[in-house]
Amino acid sequence: MNKLNFKEKTNINLLMYLAIIVVSVTILIFLDMNKFQYNYVISIIEKSLVYAVVALSMNIVTGFTGLFSLGQAGFMALGAYTTAILTIPIASRPNVYYMNGILPALENAIVPIPVALILGGVVAGVFAALIGIPILRLKSDYLAIATLGFSEIIRAVIASPMMDKITNGSYGLKSIPGFKSSLECFAYSLICIVIMILIINSSTGRDFKAVREDEIAARAVGINLFKTKELSFVVSSFFTGIGGGLLAMFMRSIDSKTFQITLTYDILLIVVLGGIGSITGSIVGAFFVTAGKELLRFFDEPLIIGGVQIPLFKPGFRMVIFSILLMIVVLFFRKGLLGGKELSFNKLMKVRRKKNLDEPGGNA
Amino acid sequence: MENVLRLTDMSIAFGGLMALDGLNLEVNKGEIVAIIGPNGAGKTTAFNCITGIYTPTSGNIEYLGESIINKEPSDITKKGIARTFQNIRLFKELSVFENVLIAMHLRYNDNIFTSTFRLNKKMEDEMREETKKLLDSQDLYKYRNDVAGSLPYGIQRRLEIARALATSPTLLLLDEPAAGMNPQETMELTSYIKKIRDEFGLTVLLIEHHMDLVMDISERIYVIDFGKLIAKGTAEEVQNNPKVIEAYLGVQDDA
Repeated sequence: MNKLNFKEKTNINLLMYLAIIVVSVTILIFLDMNKFQYNYVISIIEKSLVYAVVALSMNIVTGFTGLFSLGQAGFMALGAYTTAILTIPIASRPNVYYMNGILPALENAIVPIPVALILGGVVAGVFAALIGIPILRLKSDYLAIATLGFSEIIRAVIASPMMDKITNGSYGLKSIPGFKSSLECFAYSLICIVIMILIINSSTGRDFKAVREDEIAARAVGINLFKTKELSFVVSSFFTGIGGGLLAMFMRSIDSKTFQITLTYDILLIVVLGGIGSITGSIVGAFFVTAGKELLRFFDEPLIIGGVQIPLFKPGFRMVIFSILLMIVVLFFRKGLLGGKELSFNKLMKVRRKKNLDEPGGNA
Repeated sequence: MENVLRLTDMSIAFGGLMALDGLNLEVNKGEIVAIIGPNGAGKTTAFNCITGIYTPTSGNIEYLGESIINKEPSDITKKGIARTFQNIRLFKELSVFENVLIAMHLRYNDNIFTSTFRLNKKMEDEMREETKKLLDSQDLYKYRNDVAGSLPYGIQRRLEIARALATSPTLLLLDEPAAGMNPQETMELTSYIKKIRDEFGLTVLLIEHHMDLVMDISERIYVIDFGKLIAKGTAEEVQNNPKVIEAYLGVQDDA
């Protein structure tokens, strides 16, 4: 009987998620058809989707394996540059590399976008594997500092004159093919998110959680600590790399400044706000933060009430409001909006049923 | 009698402190052996050496005739040595079911690809079935969905033992299993340890302070003080050994 119950539960959740996907696709098709009118909304949605991918990938390593890594921007840069270099149309390459020229080997190297995205992930993953060997022996804050340093090194190397013929140095790359429609962005993000959810809920994901909960106990039940951490770090970086590639496609032009430490903080903010160790938290958080920053633009406009201009309302004020909102969230939801739990339709429905039962004569 | 575990002249030093000094110990198949000694004597350190968390400075550890020094703790667990901890170490925020399920994983060979794309479904189903059986046999099935950290102390202890059993060990190391238990619970634990020993064909090495339990259960006892073995033998021999009495009660200074 329990088994049946369990199956019913999964089915309801699966159906609801499918329903959400169908509704999202419908909305996106509608927005795409009226592209000129909803350009702004579409760009917010695309950015949120990209951030959701990166936030979830960061959550794998930080929230589910308990490794506090701040290397996100570096891995995104690796993915973004790989994707960009391999997808910029050959015809526009002389224009992009107008100052220093391009490495002859890369002149005609072009691959389809999905392949470029995966290669971007692979490059990020390989780098993660290499630096993981020394730094994953570090714990908590030390690991954070090491990954932070790595991320800055990547950025410095990309911008250095040595790399001019590959990354175009400090001039950055442009003419990167963007998303043909928001549906394309949605499809790539969805595939990444679904695979990450499958990983988190698999037996491998359970090993990650065991390491997060107690390293010594994890070893005592036969989990190889180093291999598990390395695996988690590589998988996370792989998807961060793909996220970086998606970001490059979203922005259409990138340079090394795009991948400054603030980018990592943006992602960290989403993860913490949504709830460390919550899949749905990261996704909801990505939309909340990205859309929130835009919706608050109202505070940046001058406000005139009765002929008097309110002095606070000037560019930059929205970030003050945003920070205050963040502090409120952190104060009242210490574990993030979802606090390590998942949004589940079963639970929502249970709450409703309970309410019905509580109402006098509600459910006889 | 077949030998399961043998420590020969095992020593470990932390800086200038000899935590264990030339420890010799052996455990044979099917035995229940206890290590006792005052606080800080080095009992848990011995466990940490056996399970690979510490590497001894000198000496040897043999398990089923094979040296297990310098092996990864996870590999030692795979060979069949499972343990519990003095201060319970469960995966606190995971459910009881998951706690045992994670420990089941070491017997199954899957990797990230097979597990992500659910190509290991047969294995996964088997693991879950085995977990259910084990929880059932340990009378823990009713708690399966509870978060491990929220359970009463006694149940947490039993869950930790169940988790160790999930790795299907030959040798089970119990670090103060009766800590914090009242006499009634201690009595139950005594029969429980005997029960699982027979049921799972285990060999048990335990550290304990509750003398009732130790005297009742163990075939042989080792007494350690300041890292040195000061006595060994049956419960009675040890109880009457003057060195043991001295270590536990102190020696009277006659003026």
